[in-house]
Amino acid sequence: MKPRTQVVLLATLMSATAWGQEVSLYGTTMAQMWKQETPGFDKATFTPATQYLGIDATKLGSDNLSLHLFGWGRTDLSDASNFDGSKSGGFLNYGYLQYRFDQANAEIKAGRFTANQATGFEQVDGVSVRTDLRGGFSVSAFGGKPVYFKTVDPRNQTDYEYQRDFIFGTRFAWRMPKVGEIGVSYLQDGTQAAKDLDIPSPVDYTRKQLGVDIRITPASVFDLRGRTIFDVASHPDQAPGTRDRSRIAEHDYTATVKVGNQVTVTGNFAERNFYAFFAGTNLPSLFRQDDNDMFRGFGGSVTWNAPTGVQLVADYRHMHRETVGDVNRGGGEIRWASSEKTFLAGVGAHWVNAANTLFVDPARPYRSLSHKEARIWGMVTQGKFTASLDGILQRYDKDNPYLVGIKNIYEVVGSLGYQATSNVKVSGDISYGSTAVAKHETRGLLRAEYRFGFARKGGR
Amino acid sequence: MARNSIFKIVGVALGLGFLMACSLISPETSFAATHPQELGAGRPICSECHSSDVAKGAQKPYAAFDHTPTFVKDHRFQANQDSNTCAACHAQSFCADCHGGKVPMKPSTRFSDRPDLQSPHRGDFMAQHRIEGKMDPSSCYACHGRANNEKCAACHR
Repeated sequence: MKPRTQVVLLATLMSATAWGQEVSLYGTTMAQMWKQETPGFDKATFTPATQYLGIDATKLGSDNLSLHLFGWGRTDLSDASNFDGSKSGGFLNYGYLQYRFDQANAEIKAGRFTANQATGFEQVDGVSVRTDLRGGFSVSAFGGKPVYFKTVDPRNQTDYEYQRDFIFGTRFAWRMPKVGEIGVSYLQDGTQAAKDLDIPSPVDYTRKQLGVDIRITPASVFDLRGRTIFDVASHPDQAPGTRDRSRIAEHDYTATVKVGNQVTVTGNFAERNFYAFFAGTNLPSLFRQDDNDMFRGFGGSVTWNAPTGVQLVADYRHMHRETVGDVNRGGGEIRWASSEKTFLAGVGAHWVNAANTLFVDPARPYRSLSHKEARIWGMVTQGKFTASLDGILQRYDKDNPYLVGIKNIYEVVGSLGYQATSNVKVSGDISYGSTAVAKHETRGLLRAEYRFGFARKGGR
Repeated sequence: MARNSIFKIVGVALGLGFLMACSLISPETSFAATHPQELGAGRPICSECHSSDVAKGAQKPYAAFDHTPTFVKDHRFQANQDSNTCAACHAQSFCADCHGGKVPMKPSTRFSDRPDLQSPHRGDFMAQHRIEGKMDPSSCYACHGRANNEKCAACHR
């Protein structure tokens, strides 16, 4: 959508809020400051000011019609923090009219919205509908222009926009009380394949995916949920002798078992085949379809919720990537909350064993990505005042190829806040740490949060 | 003449299809637009108040929506199947804080006064991301695969 069209659409939508009988406005104003001294680069001081703003207007003429807008804008008051050298930016995250029917959980959305009922998680300028049907069935669908992010290499941008001209998706599901739900969905992003271009593009951005999702919850003590996504697009023939591409983009399943009132055990399995899974990316140089790589992981966690407000979590995960090797991650966390939740605290530690990850480097084929991470935090609310402290330490193996010999990276963030009224809160943070590019880094942040109007739903 | 007949047939078929579709729609009242009671701070455990019955609309036990650590981590499944249930308590802006498509800062910076939140990318993630991305780039793809990539593209050309 052209910027001028966006401004006109936004102005029209905002003027519609005047019809709302219940209008709520919420926002956050933030000012940050930090200095950067990176070897090989000029010294720089960054002071970006950021404004988030949202509006919810309900009962627009009818009790069922509402308008929802949310976006942000930012400007740099000193050096440019954007990589392209510009000093400002902004984005309309969503802006849509919604009509919610009194029956069948039916709704219609029109405008810019996020669609997540099919296999993907998409931002769309278009229309979305859903309704429950008789017998436990439900159906939903959306269609429109996919929201672009101008980040593809400019030489390929035309191909990208040409192929991603229209996106639509639909999901048909059946749910049965105390048994679960099964859904079948389809997503198509783009109607024109790379082979139809005058000069065929090396990247096929067209995405056609069929998904099956399940949720089995026969009782409150057991829950199995997950999905499988199939790639149903037609692709150019593979070069002779290369490994066959999998038609399965993703398997991802999690089972949860509750043991008594206090203990929960979970297990997860996931597999993703990159040629199918990365279809439609706007960053093909990073999410490389042509590597035809595969990731597979499994793991689990045990959570103990003690009646004293203590929560203890232990987790483990094994990961395997075909071109990199095996990685094991494990650790635990303890959280504590006082009965009135005026004091919350947590301490956690995790280790990652990746000592034999494979690199394409004949001189040193194996290098270590192993590291450990520890975190401790606390948060206090006393009357109108809040305070928090958060510290994190990451300790790497000395032969890690990415950290120029640095072993320890850490950050400590302290925050003080004052709840001036029930709708207005101001807070300030200061952080100090050591990173891979700066031995000492101090950052400051001022924040004002406000909410006016009738909204009852939480923003977080 | 032939064209008029085709229009009439298509019109009648669409009308009948619309009437049939209307008769298929569930007569049930919609799920509550907002939770009737204000919820306190922290992660809610729905089954503490809703003991054994199933959530209207979702048709699943309320325990399936308990905000356990696993629920928070895998919430995409619930959002995919039961976004109406999520919407009873969460405004759309709650999702956009992290899944906004294009956001000006990482969630852990925006909510740096809330260490209790499960914000991703805490600490110096610029160093960490080269390792995480090497181990499992598909975990990056959910948020960065088709959105918010200006900073990624600065190096990953």
